[in-house]
Amino acid sequence: MNRIAGVFAALLMLSGTALPADAQDKTVTVFAAASMKNALDDIDAAYTARTGVKIVVSYGPSSGLAKQIEQGAPADVFISADTDWMDYAIAKKTINEPTRVNLLGNEMVLIAPKDSKIDKVAIGNGFDLARLAGDGRIATGDVKSVPSGKYARAALEKLGSWQAAEPKFAMADNVRAALTLVARNEATLGIVYATDAKVEPGVKLVGTFPAGSHPAIIYPVAATTTAKPGTTDYLAFLRSMAAKNILEKYGFKFLLSPTT
Amino acid sequence: MLRVDIKKQLGEFMLEAAFASEGRVTGLFGASGAGKTSLINMIAGLLRPDRGVIALDGEILDDTANGVHVPPHRRRIGYVFQDARLFPHMNVAQNLDYGRRMNGLADDAAQQKRVTDLLDIGHLLDRRPGKLSGGERQRVALGRALLSKPRLLLLDEPLGSLDEGRKVEILPYLVRLRDEANVPMVYVSHDAGEMRQLATQVVMLKRGRVMAFGGIEVLPGG
Amino acid sequence: MSEITSAEWTAILLSLRVAMIATLVATPFGIALAFLLARRDFWGKSILDAMVHLPLVLPPVVTGYLLLLALGRRGFVGAWLAENLGIVFAFRWTGAALACGVMSFPLLVRPIRLSIEAVDRRLEQAASTLGAAPWRVFATVTLPLALPGILAGMVLGFAKAIGEFGATITFVANIPGETQTISSAIYSLIQTPDGDAAAMRLVLVSIVIATVALIASEWFARRATQRLHGN
Repeated sequence: MNRIAGVFAALLMLSGTALPADAQDKTVTVFAAASMKNALDDIDAAYTARTGVKIVVSYGPSSGLAKQIEQGAPADVFISADTDWMDYAIAKKTINEPTRVNLLGNEMVLIAPKDSKIDKVAIGNGFDLARLAGDGRIATGDVKSVPSGKYARAALEKLGSWQAAEPKFAMADNVRAALTLVARNEATLGIVYATDAKVEPGVKLVGTFPAGSHPAIIYPVAATTTAKPGTTDYLAFLRSMAAKNILEKYGFKFLLSPTT
Repeated sequence: MLRVDIKKQLGEFMLEAAFASEGRVTGLFGASGAGKTSLINMIAGLLRPDRGVIALDGEILDDTANGVHVPPHRRRIGYVFQDARLFPHMNVAQNLDYGRRMNGLADDAAQQKRVTDLLDIGHLLDRRPGKLSGGERQRVALGRALLSKPRLLLLDEPLGSLDEGRKVEILPYLVRLRDEANVPMVYVSHDAGEMRQLATQVVMLKRGRVMAFGGIEVLPGG
Repeated sequence: MSEITSAEWTAILLSLRVAMIATLVATPFGIALAFLLARRDFWGKSILDAMVHLPLVLPPVVTGYLLLLALGRRGFVGAWLAENLGIVFAFRWTGAALACGVMSFPLLVRPIRLSIEAVDRRLEQAASTLGAAPWRVFATVTLPLALPGILAGMVLGFAKAIGEFGATITFVANIPGETQTISSAIYSLIQTPDGDAAAMRLVLVSIVIATVALIASEWFARRATQRLHGN
C-alpha cells in the first residue's frame, strides 16, 4: 500500500517537471490572425535570433482570439485582421490603447484549386460568383465573425453577387482553414487574402476584389493590458525595416513608415 | 460467559433464542435453515437483532432497547467461516498476521509458533490461498482467527465444505483447540457426531426456536 | 517521414504531462466516487451517477464552455480562485489538465466501480471480525483487490485525456507550449499549407500512445481476474 502511494507521488512529481520551468519572463505571447502565420513565423525567428526572447504565437480567427483575451487568455500582443475586433477588445478594456497602431493592409482574392478548369476572371459589378462556382462550394471564413468572411461578404454585397452565392458558402473557422479546403479540392472556389494565396502552392489566383468593394483591410497591432515588459521591444521590432521586408515579401502592405 | 436473548424475523419464521452459556465449547445444533448462522452472525455483530440483548463477559454487545450495537471490529470475537475466506492477495503468513495487525497487538513469536504447530500449518506460510487444499485452507482460517487473540471464537460449520477424509483429518485439530487454545468457542453444526466430540454444552435449534439446552445428552442418537 | 520537430515535441510532452496530472489527480476522486456508488445507498445516488457520466454524453465543447463559465477568469468560481488563491485555470496547462480530467472521469470511475463491486463482501466481513475498522477494511482488503481494476481505469482515463480536444480547446484555447496538446496541434497543422507531414507524424504518435494505453488496460484487467482468484 505504501509502495503504491510512493509510485503515485513519484509519477505526480515527474509529470510536474516534464517540461522545463516556464521561462515566462523570456517569452512574449502573441495572439495573431491566422493569415499572419507564415510571415509572422519568419519575423519571430528573426527576433529570437536577435534577442534570445522566445515568441509564442497562437494563431486563430481574430474573432476567437479577441474573445479569448476577453476571457483572460494570457496574451501580450494582439494582431487582428480587422479594426472591428481590435475595437471590440479595446471596448472590453483588454488592450493598452496607446500602443495600438494600424500596421498592415491586404487584398481579398478569389482562388481555385491548382488544377481547376476555372480561368482568371475580372471581378466587378454584377460579378456572377454563383455561376462560376457551379455545383461546388465557396470556402471562406465565417461571414458573421471572421474578418476574412466579413470582408468577403461586404465585397459580394457591394457587387451584387451575395444573394445568389450565399447558399454555396462553406464557412470555416478561420481563413487558413478555408484556404486548405480549396487546396484539398474540397471547395471549388475560395475567398481569402492575397497573402494566403501566395503561400499555398495548391491553389491558383483567379481574381482580385477591387479595393473599393469592401472596407479597407487593416491589421491593427496592440499590446494587451496584461503585457509583460518585453512586449514593447517586440512591438518596436514589428515596425522595423527588417519586419517590413519580411511582410512585404509575403504580400502584405506595410502601412507605417518603418523605424530603423 | 455468553448471554443471548434475541428475536429476529428471518424470512418466513421468527428466530427467538435465549440462553446463557459458560461452556468451553457451546454447540449450536440444528438442521440447515434453522437459524444457526444468523444467530452467530448476530453474536459476531455482522447482523443485528430486531429486539434483544447480547452480552459477553458482562459487556453489552447489542441492546436494541437502548440503541447499543458494538460493531464487529470492536468485539474481539473471532470467526471461522464455512468457506474459510482467506484473503487471496496475501500469503498464508500475512493472512495469519492480519488480526494481530488490525488489533494493534504486539508481535508474539511464541504464540505464532504454538498456533502453527497446533494446526500443522508451519510449512504453508509462503503459499497463496489459491494453492491450498480445502483442509489446509480451513486450518489456516482457524489459525488466523486464533492469532487475533479473540475472547470468543465462532465457528460456522468449519467442516461443512470438506469431504469425509478431510473431516477426519481436521476434527482432531478442533479437539486440540478446545483443550489447548484456552478460548471459549461457539460451534455451529448439523452433524451430531462432530458435536458429541467437541461440545461441552449444546443449544438445539429448530426453525428458529431453542428446543433444548444442556450437555451433549440432548443430542439425538443419545 | 522526417524527424519530429521541436514544436511537435513540445506538444507531445505537454500532452503527456497534462494527461498524467489529470489522471493522477482524478484517481482519488474516482476511487471515492466509485466506492460510494458501489457500496453505499443514499438519496440522490442516481443523480450523482448521472452527473459523473455527463461528460461522456455531453458534447465536449459544451463541457468546455461550462468550464469556462465557471472557472474562467471571469467565471463565478474562477474569479474567486484567481483573486484569493492566485489559481488560474483558463488558458493554462492546469486548465487543460482540468478539462482532460473532467472528460476522462466517467471512463475512470466505471472500471473502478466494477472492480470494487467485484470484491467479495464476505472477505470484508472476515476482515472486520479480525478487528479491522471500516476504513482499514477498505485500505487492506477492498483497495488491493480492486487495484488492478483501478489501474485499468486509470490507463483508460489517461488514453482519453491524451486524446481530449473539444473541451480543451474551448476552455484553454490553443497556445503552443502552454495548452497546445497533440490534438490541438494536429488541428492547427491541418489548416496550414504543408502542415500535413507534421500532422501525420503527430497522428502516428497519437495512435501509438492510444494503442499502448489500451493494451496496458487490457493487461491490468486480466491481472484483476487472476488476483481475485488468489493466483
